[in-house]
Amino acid sequence: MAKHLISLTINGDTYEDLVVSDNQTLLDVIRGEVGLKGTKRGCTTGACGVCTVNDANGDAILSCMTHVLEWDGEAITTIEGLADTSDLDAIQKAFVHYGAVQCGSCTPGVIMSAKALLNTHPQPTEEQINEAMAGVLCRCTGHVKVKEAIRNAHRIEEVVSHAAGD
Amino acid sequence: MLLPDHQYVRVDSLKDCLKSLRENGERTHVVAGGTDVIFNMRLRLFQPDIALSIRRIAEIKQVEELADGGLRIGAGCRLVDLAENALINERYPAFADSIRAVASSHIRNIATLGGNICLKTRCWYTNNSEQWRQGVKECFKTDGDLCHVIKSSSLCHAINNADTPLPLIVLGAVLTLQREGESRDVPIADFYQKDGMDHTVLKADELVTHVTLPPCADRTVFLKIAARKGMDFSQAAIAARASGTGTKAGEVSLVLGSISMAPIVLHEPARLIAEQGITDAAIEQAEEKVRAELGELTSLYARAGYKAHLAKVLVRRALKALREM
Repeated sequence: MAKHLISLTINGDTYEDLVVSDNQTLLDVIRGEVGLKGTKRGCTTGACGVCTVNDANGDAILSCMTHVLEWDGEAITTIEGLADTSDLDAIQKAFVHYGAVQCGSCTPGVIMSAKALLNTHPQPTEEQINEAMAGVLCRCTGHVKVKEAIRNAHRIEEVVSHAAGD
Repeated sequence: MLLPDHQYVRVDSLKDCLKSLRENGERTHVVAGGTDVIFNMRLRLFQPDIALSIRRIAEIKQVEELADGGLRIGAGCRLVDLAENALINERYPAFADSIRAVASSHIRNIATLGGNICLKTRCWYTNNSEQWRQGVKECFKTDGDLCHVIKSSSLCHAINNADTPLPLIVLGAVLTLQREGESRDVPIADFYQKDGMDHTVLKADELVTHVTLPPCADRTVFLKIAARKGMDFSQAAIAARASGTGTKAGEVSLVLGSISMAPIVLHEPARLIAEQGITDAAIEQAEEKVRAELGELTSLYARAGYKAHLAKVLVRRALKALREM
């Protein structure tokens, strides 16, 4: 099968001349060619949401359900792109603080879905949280703590310092 | 699992798309959002030589206001954009509800209106992995001559699970189908065929480019029943429309989806309500008329008896909702 050269910007880093084939999905290339293993491969049917990444608009999309060639020249953000070297993103801090992680397999997808929601709705309503998170499944910890983390992400610094007794 | 071998072709203009479809339409599967196509390619159920990506065609991604108060919507619009569109929400609330009812937000962020309108029919005997399918005999969908759902049938009974066409039918929407050098308008009510294999009148060299909605001042409603609200295909869904206010209703239309190979227009119950108004007595009578219009029901995705029950329940709920508007 023919190979193609594409350019893809992931977390602000532009990967020029990525060699990809027609039948690879965005997920195949993020994990395989680029080697960012944070984004997980789950059901590959569009039901579990663990492969969620954010597109250039900050929308949550399923990287296993789209050709990689579709994204030639575009920019995406994966879980690795949230934290900078010194600090975690607010939503990541909230997940840590509220214990919204158990086995961790779904967590990258859950966090990227939550991030997409918080991009447009920093203080989402219950309904907006349910709506945004419906496409991503956690099979161990349940969704209660995840929702708690999302609800409080906008004021997480305050919550954490209060808990630490500052 | 990797997708099967194929050639990915991206077109950036409608002209190039229609040219490609003329040359290779029979060997092509159009990919708009791709959320259903890629899934089925991974199952090896769809094995096109060419996946033709139309996601970047700007000409089919606009929502235009028409002078008569209607809208002309590009089939390439993402469902998320349409669900948030103020004009659609204001003028066609049932249509907006049906868009929000499709799958999950992740899917709606990339899936398109045209993709949902053209959604291939689904069946649990075929929409399964290749290995799984090896355990059952070939059927119409896999180059055999049998339908597992109704063994004696000469037709494929796969289900049309699309939600957005239902309100589009009651709203009298018209689809624009284009092929190279030619364009035809087909009312969406005439677009679907009761055949799981050949479920629309769309030809291999054609593309659904636009959906035109005439103005509508009537009450409309869309209701969907699914195992999980957040992401599932419907087990049954309904779109309903009535003119007038309160119990008075001059014109009524009711369309059921996801229980057969095509949406079902309920003529007799609608006529009855139009005559008698949306009264409790008329609703009860209308419910009794529903089953006869459903034709043969299959136990695909839900038991036939349950589907008949859902159809009645949805008719009742939809009519009561209309009465309250």
